[in-house]
Order: sequence, then structure tokens, then C-alpha cells
Amino acid sequence: MAGAENGRGGAALAELLVAREVERFLIREVGLLDDRRFEDWIELFTEDGTYWAPARVDQDDPWEHVSLFFDDRELMTTRLARLRHPRVYAQIPHSRTSHTIGNVTVDPPDPDADAYEVGARFVMLDYRSGHGQRSFGGRYDYRLVREGDSFRIASKKATLLNCDAVHEAISIPF
Amino acid sequence: MLANGDLSRLVTDTRIHRDLFQDRAIFDLEMERIFARSWVYVGHDSQVPEPGDFLCTRIGAQPVVMVRHTDGKVHVLYNRCGHRGVKVVAEEEGNAKRFMCMYHGWTYDTNGDLDFVTQPEGYPEGRHPDKVRDGMGRIARVDDLCGFVFANQSEEGPGLRDWLGANAVCLEDLADSAPDGEVEIRGGVHRYMYRGNWKFQIDNLSDMYHPAYSHESSSRPTGQQFARRKGDKGGIEFRGKRGRVKSMDPLGVSALPNGHSWQGGLPQIENTSELHREYVRRLEARHGPERTKEVLTKTRHNVIFYPNMAMQELNPHIRVIRPVAADLTEIFVYPIRLKGAPEQMFREQIRILNGTHSASSMVQTDDVEAFARAQEGLSTTGNEWILLARAGEEKVDPATGRVSSIGTSEVAMRNHYATWLSLMSRA
Ligand SMILES: [Fe+2]
Repeated sequence: MAGAENGRGGAALAELLVAREVERFLIREVGLLDDRRFEDWIELFTEDGTYWAPARVDQDDPWEHVSLFFDDRELMTTRLARLRHPRVYAQIPHSRTSHTIGNVTVDPPDPDADAYEVGARFVMLDYRSGHGQRSFGGRYDYRLVREGDSFRIASKKATLLNCDAVHEAISIPF
Repeated sequence: MLANGDLSRLVTDTRIHRDLFQDRAIFDLEMERIFARSWVYVGHDSQVPEPGDFLCTRIGAQPVVMVRHTDGKVHVLYNRCGHRGVKVVAEEEGNAKRFMCMYHGWTYDTNGDLDFVTQPEGYPEGRHPDKVRDGMGRIARVDDLCGFVFANQSEEGPGLRDWLGANAVCLEDLADSAPDGEVEIRGGVHRYMYRGNWKFQIDNLSDMYHPAYSHESSSRPTGQQFARRKGDKGGIEFRGKRGRVKSMDPLGVSALPNGHSWQGGLPQIENTSELHREYVRRLEARHGPERTKEVLTKTRHNVIFYPNMAMQELNPHIRVIRPVAADLTEIFVYPIRLKGAPEQMFREQIRILNGTHSASSMVQTDDVEAFARAQEGLSTTGNEWILLARAGEEKVDPATGRVSSIGTSEVAMRNHYATWLSLMSRA
């Protein structure tokens, strides 16, 4: 009996560890955006990785319907190279952002899995001097693949609560 | 109320006064004299394919419903109850047998006629609401071209085709660029807004002077922008040898009667992808090689349908300009699907439109930044005028009244404000 309880305890501990590992990865990921380390952020994606922010809450396809963002690595690189341009007027002065992540769920909870489906909730504050502060928030859905002692992002989907609202210009990914 | 004489002082041959962008009374008058008296783009009939299908939108600042009635006809209704004026339809789109007002339960047919008044015994003889007069109210004139539905709140003035003039051909050419000869609006809508006047967007759509400057950050160090179409070998060239800005003058710009205008087509970029070849094959099957070649040679870039819509064929979409206030404007951008074209082509269209026309695009975000800065800059009082003096040689086509000039000429903007003044001056 005691052995079975240890087994459950061991599994629970393993689950906790992988959840914590994923959470730490996500905190680092969104932190790179806040620190404007865009090139490092792109490097977290797999070669065929995608970043997607749909324009409808129930949108299940980025190809049949328009999106706020739907970037492969090439488009991410073009977009973020633009943010480095000295005359990117939409970002002069540039946004300061703060991403907060929580309610992280990891599936499967098995620490030895090759890939994980991860869910989370987020809030992103975006302040541009002279333009006030905006808040965006909603749900993240990731597919992470294990790579060594860390992960890479096969896909990241950010579904804003108000993704179908009429937005002012947006420059920094959620 | 502004006197007409005051208005004419605000528009000269080469200058327009900042009040056109700042003054709230002028904005209100624009809604009355421009948006209520010209053919305003409302939607495409493919958005309401079945009887009862409806779509809520606006004409100027007024909420309206575009709806297909049981007889197949598309109507545009004022979105208000005949009783106490409550907005009847709250959903953005959907299908309804009838519309019911939430306040006292009155119902309306999909042509806007009053269908049923609750507790009718409360209206004695001679007081019963009238089917039409107390209905939601239909916009006076609704007409379409190639499925593009326009509405005019005035019974007076030219019909749609006369109003559009040579612009009508642009919609017909767009339909011809679909292997099935028809287009539809599909794939949702990009929505964004800016803190600036609606006319900045109209002027910008004919402005071939700004891209190399405003959009410099979207170009590579070679001076070339990203490709606008799948398989295109590169995009617009902002800069040529030794980094000099390449003038867009050779592309030309055209000003048409009633405030419409076109930018000349961008230089053709070679596309050898299998997807494009399949599209060409399908077009040739419909039109033969000669017409196909014509259809593929884009002689126009953005085409402005004054006062509230622009269409682009290169990556087919329409842009709807929705004025909210003198200093606030919404822009809605809808992808256009060419029926009969390879499905993958539409998917690529959507992908590229995300990069160029979403709220987070790499192009429009710079334009809206310019519009907001113009709104702010024009609040200064040291100089009360905007200068629109750029010009080149002008040629007039007597058949259509089209004036064409060099690409960076501001002739289309001068034409826009000449139309603006003539519409605004009619009491
Ligand atoms: Fe622009």
C-alpha cells in the first residue's frame, strides 16, 4: 500500500516538475519580448514554427480567415527586423510592454514526452509615450517540442479576448 | 450653420484649410451632404447570399442593415425601430425571418416594413402605425455592380453607373480576373482605427509620393519591399542604385469625376510559380490568351470609390473607410476571393494581407501613424493650410473626364477637394 502511495507521489512530483519547467520556459519567452530581444525570441521557434493571433475567438484556421498575426520564421524575421529600423515611424517612440502569464496547463504531464500541448492565460500591457497604455489579454495555446534540457516552440497561438475589436496599430507580438 | 461662402474659402486651387480636418461642424455637414447624398459602398451581395441573411454596417455615422429580402432583393435599412427609435438589430451578421425590436416587441419584415405591432388594441381607429411610414425605413436607392452594393439616401442625382463613371470598369475588370467571372467577399475582415480624419485615408490612397519615406522600414537594405503576392520575385522598389529614391512618377495617377481616382499599376513583377501558372491556364480557358494578358496586366493599383471605399487588384481586397468623428476613423479591409482561381491562391492572399493590412501590419501601421500625426500637427495655428501643389503634365480623356498625370502629382487630391466643395456647397 505504501509503495502505491509513493508511486502516486512520484508521479505527482514529476508532473509538478514538468509544469514548472514549462512555466519557466514561457516566462523566459515572453520576457524576451518585453526586453526587446526579438532575435532571441525568434530563435525559440522551430524552423517551421508559427506565431498566430487569430482575428476571431472561434477561428480554427489561419489560412481561410484573416488574422492579426500569422507569421512563419521568415515573416517574423521581416517584421522584427523592421522594429530595428531607425525609421519605423509606427514605433517612434516605441512601445514598452509587460507580459504576464498564468493558469498554465501542460498535456501530457509525462516528463519524458517529446512534445507538449500547453495552455495558459496572459495579460500584456502596451505603453507608448503620448498614446497611453493599452491592455491585451486572453489565451495562449502552445505546442512545445522537447530539445535537450529545454523546449522549442512549434506553434504559439494568442487568442485575444477582444481579437475582433477595432484596434489601433499593434506592433509587438502578444 | 456654416454658410456656403465660408466653405469655398477653405478650398483653393492648391491649398485646403485645416478646418476640414478639425472642425466638428464640418464633419457633421459632411455626413449630411456627402455621405447622405452620394453612392456610398455598403457591402457585397456574397455576404448575404440567402433570403434573411443580413449584415450590420454604417453609412457615414449612421447604423444600417444590409439584408436580402424573401424576394431575393437586397435592401439597406436604417437600423432603428419605427416606434421609439431603438436600434433593432444588434448582431453583426446572421439570418432572420423577421427583425424584432427589444423594447416593445414590434417586428419588421426583411424589407423593413412593419410586420406586427404588439397589443394593437392600444391604437384606436386612425392611430394605428403605418406599415411603411412606421417601418425601419429603407435607404432611398440601392444598386449594385458586379455584386458590390452601393446605397444613396437621396432620390436625386445620378444613378450608380453614372456616379461611378470610368470606375465601373475597375469592378468589371476585377470580375474578369476571376476564372469563373465572379468574385466574393470571404475570409473575414481586418479592422483598425486611427485618431485622425477620414479624408487622410482617401488622400493617402492616391499618394505615390510617400511610400519610400513613410514605409522605408518595410524595405530591405536593397531598397525593395517584401513581395505582395505568392511567387512574386520581390516587391516594390523604393530605392534604386546608390540608394536614391525611385520616383513613382512613371506609374501615373488619374483623377475622375465625382472624387474618384486611381493610382497607376505597379511595375509587373515576374511570377513563375506553378500556382500562378495554373491560375493563368484557368483564365485562358475562359477569356483566351489576349484578354487574359490584359486582365493580368494591372494598369491600376488602388482605385478610390469616393467617398468611402477603395479596391486593389494586385492582392485583391477592398478597404472601407468609416468616419466616426472629425478626429476618429475606422478602416475595414475585406479579402476578395476570385471564384474559380486555385484555392491555394486565396490562402496566400489572406496570408499576405495579414502582413500588409491588419491592425498589426508592416505597412498600414506607418500610414495611420502619419494620419494621427497630421491630425495633431494641424491643431497648430501658425499655418492654417495644407499644401497640395505637386503637379505634372495633365492629360484629359474627353470620353470619361479622366485627368491623368505623373504618379506623385497631387491632382487626385485636388480633385477630391473640388468634389468635396461642390457636394458640401449644395444646401
Ligand atoms: Fe502608405
